[in-house]
Amino acid sequence: MTRDEFERCRRRFGDTVEAWPAPFRQQALALMAQEQNDDPDAALDRLVLEAAQADGDDHALARKVLARIDAGSARPFFLWRPLLSPAGLAACTAAALVAATLAGYQVARLQDDPADTELLALASGSSLADAGGVVADPEGEGSL
Amino acid sequence: MRAAVSIDQPRVDDDLLARIAAGSQSALSELIARHGRGLRMFAARYLGNAGDAEDVVQEVFVTVWKQAARFDPAKGRASTWLYRITANRCIDQRRRRALRGFIGLDDIRDEVASPEADAEATTAARQELAIVRDGLSRLPERQRMAVLLRAVGDLDIAAIAEVMGSSVGSAEQLLVRGRRALRDHLAMAAAGRGRESS
Repeated sequence: MTRDEFERCRRRFGDTVEAWPAPFRQQALALMAQEQNDDPDAALDRLVLEAAQADGDDHALARKVLARIDAGSARPFFLWRPLLSPAGLAACTAAALVAATLAGYQVARLQDDPADTELLALASGSSLADAGGVVADPEGEGSL
Repeated sequence: MRAAVSIDQPRVDDDLLARIAAGSQSALSELIARHGRGLRMFAARYLGNAGDAEDVVQEVFVTVWKQAARFDPAKGRASTWLYRITANRCIDQRRRRALRGFIGLDDIRDEVASPEADAEATTAARQELAIVRDGLSRLPERQRMAVLLRAVGDLDIAAIAEVMGSSVGSAEQLLVRGRRALRDHLAMAAAGRGRESS
């Protein structure tokens, strides 16, 4: 069987090669096996898969996951995990800096808010009276 | 080709995720039995640390437990979703490691391959696997991820692109470059062994 014939069979019988009728099934499986052997990428993938084999107990994994789920449901909200990650800490620090900057600007603005009379005095070049208000400029200095 | 043979597999996973969303712990255990091994192999080889991989895979299944209802079978296969969560957790874990290494709390090294390295050198086949592991650990991270998603996760290019959040073209490029680098590494190691034996 060629690759074109395989594709035609797939359109005809569906994707599940094992469900194809004989002799198409055996021919298709033989082609797949041959392509796997001829394909250097597939050979490398098999090698990587074999190299990646690692011991592990799936039952133990399931037990640990279920224990974590049970423990997680009782965990207090303030220990929210993302906040403990580097990205979470960085985000919190950035938020705190922005909040502190805004608060600083706000406090400084309240303290330094110039009164209308001060602005008027500044614009006209006059000095301010002790009790507030603008002192008249007797010699016309500073007037435009 | 390989994916075409196992056409019922996604449906089983979809059913399991639907049951997990409904609160079935036995369905979660079954999903762990089906995918736990693959995800752990992927994470261990990507991170180069079996302990970190174990933590990551536990986190992945806890996330699956919490967010199974968000999985939409119409948008993709369950295995792709699982590997996507795992890949993201691995990247987070790697950043945490790098930060801890930077501030001197950790030293970063491959803790999966090293315990068996001496024993593996006893036979040529095992030595070749050790060289593959070494080659994998030297690949750039995204190339390593693409190679492992293909070989361990059995994902096609479109699924790899989805997991890695990249275009199909760039995922294919990563896979091609990763495989080429791995082949070069194997060829260099073989040449080195040839010189030693002669």
